[in-house]
Amino acid sequence: MSKQSRIIRKAMGYTVLLLMLLIIIAPFFWMVDTSFKTNLDIGNFPPSFLPHPATFEHYIRAFSTYGFGIYFRNSVIVSIIATLIVLVLASLASYAIARLPIRGKAPLMVVLLAISTFPEVAVISPLFVIMQRLNWLNSYQSLIVPYVAFNLPFAIWVMRTYFAGIPKELDEAARVDGAGVLTTVFRVILPLATPGLFTGGVFTFVACWTEFLFALVFNSSNNFRTIPVGIALFSGQFTIPYGTIFAGSTVAVLPIVILVLIFQKWVVAGLTAGAVKG
Amino acid sequence: MIAGYLMTAPALIVIALVTLFPIGYSIWMSLNTITSTYNGFQFSFNGLNNYVTVFQNSMFWQALWFTVTYAAVTVTLELVLGLLVALALNQPIRGRGLAIAVMLIPWTLITVISAQMWDYIYNGIYGVLNAILMSVHIINVPVLWLGSPVTATISMMVADIWKTTPFVTMIMLAGLQLIPSDLYEAAKIDGATGWRSFWNVTLPLLRPSIGLAALFRILQAFGLFDLPFVLTNGGPGTSTTPIAMLAYKAIFNDGNFGTGTAVAVATVGIVIILALLSLKALRTQVGEIE
Repeated sequence: MSKQSRIIRKAMGYTVLLLMLLIIIAPFFWMVDTSFKTNLDIGNFPPSFLPHPATFEHYIRAFSTYGFGIYFRNSVIVSIIATLIVLVLASLASYAIARLPIRGKAPLMVVLLAISTFPEVAVISPLFVIMQRLNWLNSYQSLIVPYVAFNLPFAIWVMRTYFAGIPKELDEAARVDGAGVLTTVFRVILPLATPGLFTGGVFTFVACWTEFLFALVFNSSNNFRTIPVGIALFSGQFTIPYGTIFAGSTVAVLPIVILVLIFQKWVVAGLTAGAVKG
Repeated sequence: MIAGYLMTAPALIVIALVTLFPIGYSIWMSLNTITSTYNGFQFSFNGLNNYVTVFQNSMFWQALWFTVTYAAVTVTLELVLGLLVALALNQPIRGRGLAIAVMLIPWTLITVISAQMWDYIYNGIYGVLNAILMSVHIINVPVLWLGSPVTATISMMVADIWKTTPFVTMIMLAGLQLIPSDLYEAAKIDGATGWRSFWNVTLPLLRPSIGLAALFRILQAFGLFDLPFVLTNGGPGTSTTPIAMLAYKAIFNDGNFGTGTAVAVATVGIVIILALLSLKALRTQVGEIE
């Protein structure tokens, strides 16, 4: 490549990069910006660029009047418990698939991948009937159990590749020292496979945090609603309380943004796992 | 060795109970007339009656057509845009790390939140989109973007493309980084530069990534639900009702468990056929390269 065309390419690269950042950030900025505006300000057309005066009233109202705290608590409980269960079950299963002699591994992995992409609507009515029979509607387990099942396949898929990369000699050394299979997994292998745990964990947590259809159908009572359902049904009777919606939304987005920025490397690894493995 | 089966069993049992068993149960439900009573649901077998009802209903075909065109348009645009951005980022430029971090944010955003965000941007009375377009004189009066079938569909597509293009970009970028640079050197020695090297080296080697991104996105598009639920509720009229929403409304708004489940099962059938076709295409592509 000549020097001139390389410079042109770089210039194009920077242009695309800046445009992309602008397009991604602008709607976000508008949402956070609006959450600090007074209702009077929000109703103005054309809208003002920055809030004047800035107010916290929507944040206070979201938690006091609209009970956003309940939704937040429910989302945290459901997402954390589901993620922990997924990590434990996926660790066992992916270690076994990566190391131990099991028949039919290849078709098993294909079936797992297929399940992880299945649309939820396929199972919504039978699960609803089953949950009703179990008396599970409006509970935490009505979400935790499906979330575990729907996120296990991808977690197993990702973690298996990490386990496969750990030298087998370590297993053998542990066995010589008298460690059983479970001790080997949790004491020897898992500490070395933390990147795999991070990737599986972050993907599961994000999927649980954002899931909508199951949460909408299984937990209709206000006390068991998660953030997505709460925000979708926030609409008032006559007007849409945008300020309050966006205050709640900003609070809901923050933990995930922090989580993803901390674990950025492993999230990228997870997104690219498919591309690498084909 | 029995330990292997014991260790995979808990995961597989949960997956089977919550996904495979309900899919079978779904098929059974779709073959029954189901009525809700005080003692729970009453099933009475009616053969393929629900499917006859569904396939004779124009609403099913309308929702299916909407879902297919929506998937085709959004996935195509996302692939093209994603590839462009990935190509631009696949060179040593400053701020790449920052760009990748920012790209992760829309992907992690709760769809319902992004829907509320776009709903406010598109708002016909005080939406910022109207304000911007009016200030540069592209339009003279505020437009109700979600008020007519065509603009509502386009608005929804834009919101979707905004949220998922970064995801496609990440997959493409990963694929681009796997292409060994000596292939470009070899192409250069053969006299291929610029477009020729893109068509003959980059694109063929990127086909697995493109195929994977397309497969994931098409499957997701067939489950489209959250975005229209908040943005349009399927309207105006039923013009933006995707197939998943049709099933949801039939089951939970109208109480037609049998026919609603038949819609869901029919959708899954279509999805499976699509997935098998694209997996097959993907495999032959991968085979070609190796």
